[in-house]
Amino acid sequence: MVFTGLGVLSPVGSDPAAFYAALLAGVSGVRPIAAFAVPTLPCRLAGEVQGYDGKKFLPAGNRDARKGLNKMARTVQFGFTTAVKAWEDAGGPLKGQIDPFRFGVEYGCVMVATETEDLAAGAKATTTGRPHSVDYAAWGTTGLGLVPPQWMLKYLPNMPACHASIYADAQGPNNTITAGDAASLLALGEAFRIVQRDLADAFLVGGCDSRINPVSYSRHTTFQELTRRNDLGDAAVQPFGLNRSGTVLGEGAAVFVAEELTAAQKRGVRIDGELVGFASGFDRGLTGTVLASVLRSALKEAGIAPADVDHVNANAGGFARLDAWEAKAIHAVFGGTTDVYAPKAQLGATGAASGLLELAASVLALKHGTLPGTRNAAEVDPALGVRVVTAPRPVAKPYAVKINATPMGQCAAAVVRRWDS
Amino acid sequence: MRRRVVMTGMGAVTPVGHSVAATFAALLEGTSGVDRITHFDARTFPTTFAAEVKNFDLAEFVPDAARFKKCGSNTRFALAAAQMALADADFRGVDRGRVGVYLGAGEGSEDFDTVISGVGMATTDGRAVDHGAFARAAVAMLDGEREAELEMNTSAGHLADEFELLGPNYTCLTACAASAQALGEAAAMIRHGDADAMLAGGAHSMIHPFGVTGFNLLTALSTHNADPKKASRPFDLTRTGFVLGEGAGMIVLEEYEHARKRGATIYAELTGYGTTGDAYRMTDPHPAARGAGKCMAAAIADAGIRPDQIGYVNAHGTSTQANDESETTGIKMALGAAAYTTPVSSIKSMLGHLIAAGGVVELMVAVLAMRQGVVPPTINYETPDPACDLDYVPNFARQVAGVRHVLSNSFGFGGQNIALVASKMA
Repeated sequence: MVFTGLGVLSPVGSDPAAFYAALLAGVSGVRPIAAFAVPTLPCRLAGEVQGYDGKKFLPAGNRDARKGLNKMARTVQFGFTTAVKAWEDAGGPLKGQIDPFRFGVEYGCVMVATETEDLAAGAKATTTGRPHSVDYAAWGTTGLGLVPPQWMLKYLPNMPACHASIYADAQGPNNTITAGDAASLLALGEAFRIVQRDLADAFLVGGCDSRINPVSYSRHTTFQELTRRNDLGDAAVQPFGLNRSGTVLGEGAAVFVAEELTAAQKRGVRIDGELVGFASGFDRGLTGTVLASVLRSALKEAGIAPADVDHVNANAGGFARLDAWEAKAIHAVFGGTTDVYAPKAQLGATGAASGLLELAASVLALKHGTLPGTRNAAEVDPALGVRVVTAPRPVAKPYAVKINATPMGQCAAAVVRRWDS
Repeated sequence: MRRRVVMTGMGAVTPVGHSVAATFAALLEGTSGVDRITHFDARTFPTTFAAEVKNFDLAEFVPDAARFKKCGSNTRFALAAAQMALADADFRGVDRGRVGVYLGAGEGSEDFDTVISGVGMATTDGRAVDHGAFARAAVAMLDGEREAELEMNTSAGHLADEFELLGPNYTCLTACAASAQALGEAAAMIRHGDADAMLAGGAHSMIHPFGVTGFNLLTALSTHNADPKKASRPFDLTRTGFVLGEGAGMIVLEEYEHARKRGATIYAELTGYGTTGDAYRMTDPHPAARGAGKCMAAAIADAGIRPDQIGYVNAHGTSTQANDESETTGIKMALGAAAYTTPVSSIKSMLGHLIAAGGVVELMVAVLAMRQGVVPPTINYETPDPACDLDYVPNFARQVAGVRHVLSNSFGFGGQNIALVASKMA
């Protein structure tokens, strides 16, 4: 399965070229939160996509698509407009026909929070300022009716995949994986398997997430491992760092057009890279043994040895325990001699988008020949036994490995290869 | 030849029973699980009823149930169903490193009281909201452990943790198609060799104020408050919408040789899986059942059988105008003339709609119908709809002989269509 189109929306760039250039230049998307005033929250930094306007990503003539944005929460807009860009990048419907029933959609997307404005009128009519207190009788008679009729549809996690399928007339398999920070890499793996069993020729494979809104940010503040080092600004996220203090939330989207090789060649489209191995598992108790075996399985499917890998693109985001766990597994499989690159330092933790957004960095690096350096990695924890690449350097080998994981233990690894025709 | 996938264990928690056997027996009796909502005060909501799971106590199923007290009811139902399924499959001694989890599962119950009271504190005019003020209020009120449990990957994570299942761990949410899709993709993983067995199914509850609010606003729910047990009436001319249910179902899927070697009891083989997208609209199914018909046909083809070999169809049958009509059209597309002679029933008439968990419970019931030679009815079927002209097994269970293949449909908001075929072991 090869990659033939890419759409990217990120805190450091809103198309693949700008994204890759910013990663190479060491630009950080981690900044004080601009979306709303948060003076009292412990973590006031985030990787925001600033100035996003969905309409700018849609064809000017497509009024239906532009109007449809009103029915989408920001996360859904991210996923949808990035799919439109990816599909255009792959030549779209103009460049050869794809059988609609063999054109699938796979997304990673998780909880999408309600916008508080949608609930404001109902809340005002049913609350009196007492915490946790809502007048249910009033909500049923009055409050509920003050919520916009299509409210729920703005927030269902399968809506990005739904809107993308309608736009591209993709009538094949359509799934949305909701497995937290591993979601979009798991979605890619599932699309890969569906192509392997010859049920589809092409996929839109995406991930999207936006949690820098009042409801999501408040919720995640209460349970995510977020840094309190607001003073560090763009140096706050330190993957594998000796003084790592947690991560920051990021937001964004990435969508790949992925096609079976002969179908892509028949369409005569550009090829950016190839997915050659995938595996996933659950590392119970975060011992590292399952992630190591997942890595070995993915390499085995790719038919390569650890020494063939140019770099490991890590999940690490400054997490105390999860970074150490990942390092242990990387060390077990690769020893300390393979370069490790961690894009979260520049992007923040982009949740369901992270798998594919971070993978895009490796696909672009293999294609263009230069691997970006990991930002904020001057002081890597020596106990972790990983060699973190800190400055851009030429790509030396044709393969990269991407890891994503959740704090519970869901983990996945994908092996991609540079396309050499 | 592809690896064969069989079903070797089942467990369920539903509005009519806390096990698969109890659920199936109640369904054959035509028992409705629908009643007034007790989870919150819904007396003034447009819809005041749902099919709730009654008298459920997780401590009957797992040791140290208190550990899960901050989990959503979705996870608690999932743990009980999984425990029953794994015990049923007698999984002692099986290498758990090659067993994964794939759920179609929803979110935990969102904290309605906190969100609404927080928004109320942060708005003066009922339109604009002071986001900083909301965040201040919300962070002070929210319980971090509960918030973490809202995330959709937690149910599958808890199952893997509790039962030591180290293989692939997936969660999908394609609305009402999710757990059927989970079964189909889990079976595909076994066929591909990514796992030897998968615990697959779903768990969901949307019987909470946000859930009822959202579906009421979409006018998708029946508002037949005068007689709740009559509200879910799939394929009946006077149907007015679906009824929310809740629960969980889990099936142990296992590679056939793996099951045979350890002498496992085999319920059925999962022979067919069809999956399509409507690519049409967000909530309405394609009126000509383009995607639904195609996915049923694909599942039947995947099973390697003829359409007239399907002996029973467990319908998605939501009791909405749009679904029941387009599903009927789709069944005719896929089964041809045999559509008119094949029993089709919707157990949503009794269980309500378990949303993400619906598909798995419906497949189990279809398998038990095949094994026991009796299909559950569609209750509340009183006034035939000319647009729905198949044999819906009205009101009473029916003996059927010689059924070797059953079809189960699940269609999601957003256009995801799933059809599964299960077959008696040859």
